[in-house]
Amino acid sequence: MISFKNVSYSHNRESGIYNADLQIDAEDFAFLIGPTGSGKTTIMRLIYMDLFPESGIVTVNGYHSNKIKRRKIPHLRRNIGMVFQDYHLLTDRTLFDNVALALHIVGIDSAELEDRVMDVLYEVGLDGKEDRKPNELSGGEQQRACLARALVKEPEIILADEPTGNLDPIAAFELIKLLEKINQEGTSIFMASHNYNLIKGRGHRIMEIHEGKLRNGL
Amino acid sequence: MNKLAFLILEGLKNVWRHKLTVFTSVTSVFLTLMIIGSLFITIDNSNSLIKYLRSKYKIEVFFKKEMGDKESKMILNEIRNISGVRNATYISSNDAIRIFKDQFEEDIHEMLGYNPLPSSAVVNIIDTGQEEFSVEPIIRSIKNISGIDTVKYQGRLIQRIERFYQKFLNAFIIVAGVIIVITIFIISSTIRLTIYARTEMIKTLKLIGATNLFIKTPFLLEGMFHGLFGALLATGTLIGLVHTGNLYINKIITFQINYQHTTTFWLIGISVVISLIGSYRAVSKII
Repeated sequence: MISFKNVSYSHNRESGIYNADLQIDAEDFAFLIGPTGSGKTTIMRLIYMDLFPESGIVTVNGYHSNKIKRRKIPHLRRNIGMVFQDYHLLTDRTLFDNVALALHIVGIDSAELEDRVMDVLYEVGLDGKEDRKPNELSGGEQQRACLARALVKEPEIILADEPTGNLDPIAAFELIKLLEKINQEGTSIFMASHNYNLIKGRGHRIMEIHEGKLRNGL
Repeated sequence: MNKLAFLILEGLKNVWRHKLTVFTSVTSVFLTLMIIGSLFITIDNSNSLIKYLRSKYKIEVFFKKEMGDKESKMILNEIRNISGVRNATYISSNDAIRIFKDQFEEDIHEMLGYNPLPSSAVVNIIDTGQEEFSVEPIIRSIKNISGIDTVKYQGRLIQRIERFYQKFLNAFIIVAGVIIVITIFIISSTIRLTIYARTEMIKTLKLIGATNLFIKTPFLLEGMFHGLFGALLATGTLIGLVHTGNLYINKIITFQINYQHTTTFWLIGISVVISLIGSYRAVSKII
């Protein structure tokens, strides 16, 4: 599903990732832990091919970083659900429209679109709030809305980059539980966090990144 | 189909979201089309006048005094065979005396004791419908025929009018071109502003798998809507002005300003093209 083979990428002399190897398979749940600025977001961006490695190869769902054509990148991203620390919700649209946007991109007909959006909002516990704008929701709700937008595409994997970064401990814990439930239904999860206390002891694989070096199996 | 409907709706929503900037670009399209539309109407109406004048082109050919009726008629046949000649009517020297008498009420033959008027012919030329029809080649061909004394034609004034009309057309093309370029820049800047205002949305769309075409289309459509709104306003105003103008003109003279419905299609076409160019320029530079 996702593999890194000897991947290096540097933003400058001080930061980047070096000779990273990584493998995430179907139905995996893996955490990526590391302090701020250690390269977690760089790894995420390499996965959704916003960045390309300077050496080594990133492979995601059969797309290889050294061979993929630019016009194919949107297709790669349609099979990846992305959850961000700062949500990336469109503030001038309702929750329904924000989630539906992901389906408009693939051109799903309106009847199916409505069913799928309502189903996913129910799944993340936001049913009844579909007409609200993002600024009318709490941080935890906004993050679940972001997760709903990722889930509605029925992706094979969800990448969550510091999804709990702006949440209080209770909302963060609930989000992790929700991600675990989604994983049990068959979707792979790869989540980056700097909060070790939140993820330890949950029985999932933990990878550590420190000063650009990736270490598997904490 | 759903995707297209969504994109069209997004384009319309964008127009609503950016009302103030849209106002600027719709106004500029409106003013541009008002100028171009007015010039269209002027040209169309002047063209009818020019066509009328062209149909009145007449060449008078005078035969040499020694030419008898038989030789003159042979020359007349030669003139009829010249390319561009519609018909030629022979006027014998006796006919000329009669015409003179009709016009001046004097018998010149009686006055002078001889007929000083030569036999002649009136030559009408074909209306080719060309923008500027030159009679010079026909005149030259007639003059080259032996037995011809002089050739007179009233074409100079008409040619002068035609030349002025041609200069007006050329100026129109330049003025329209400059206005169109300025409008393209205005639309382009307006769309660019709306794109900057939607940077966050564009970023999000890219992250969730939208293609560049999907992201660009609402902005292109938004530009097109600016053009369409401007065109509808301009054509409505022009039709209203022509109608009102005719009401006043008809009180004074029997002349109707003609408004061709093709003008509406032209204006809409021009507005759509310039607004698409303007918005395409903006999206291809930023997205």
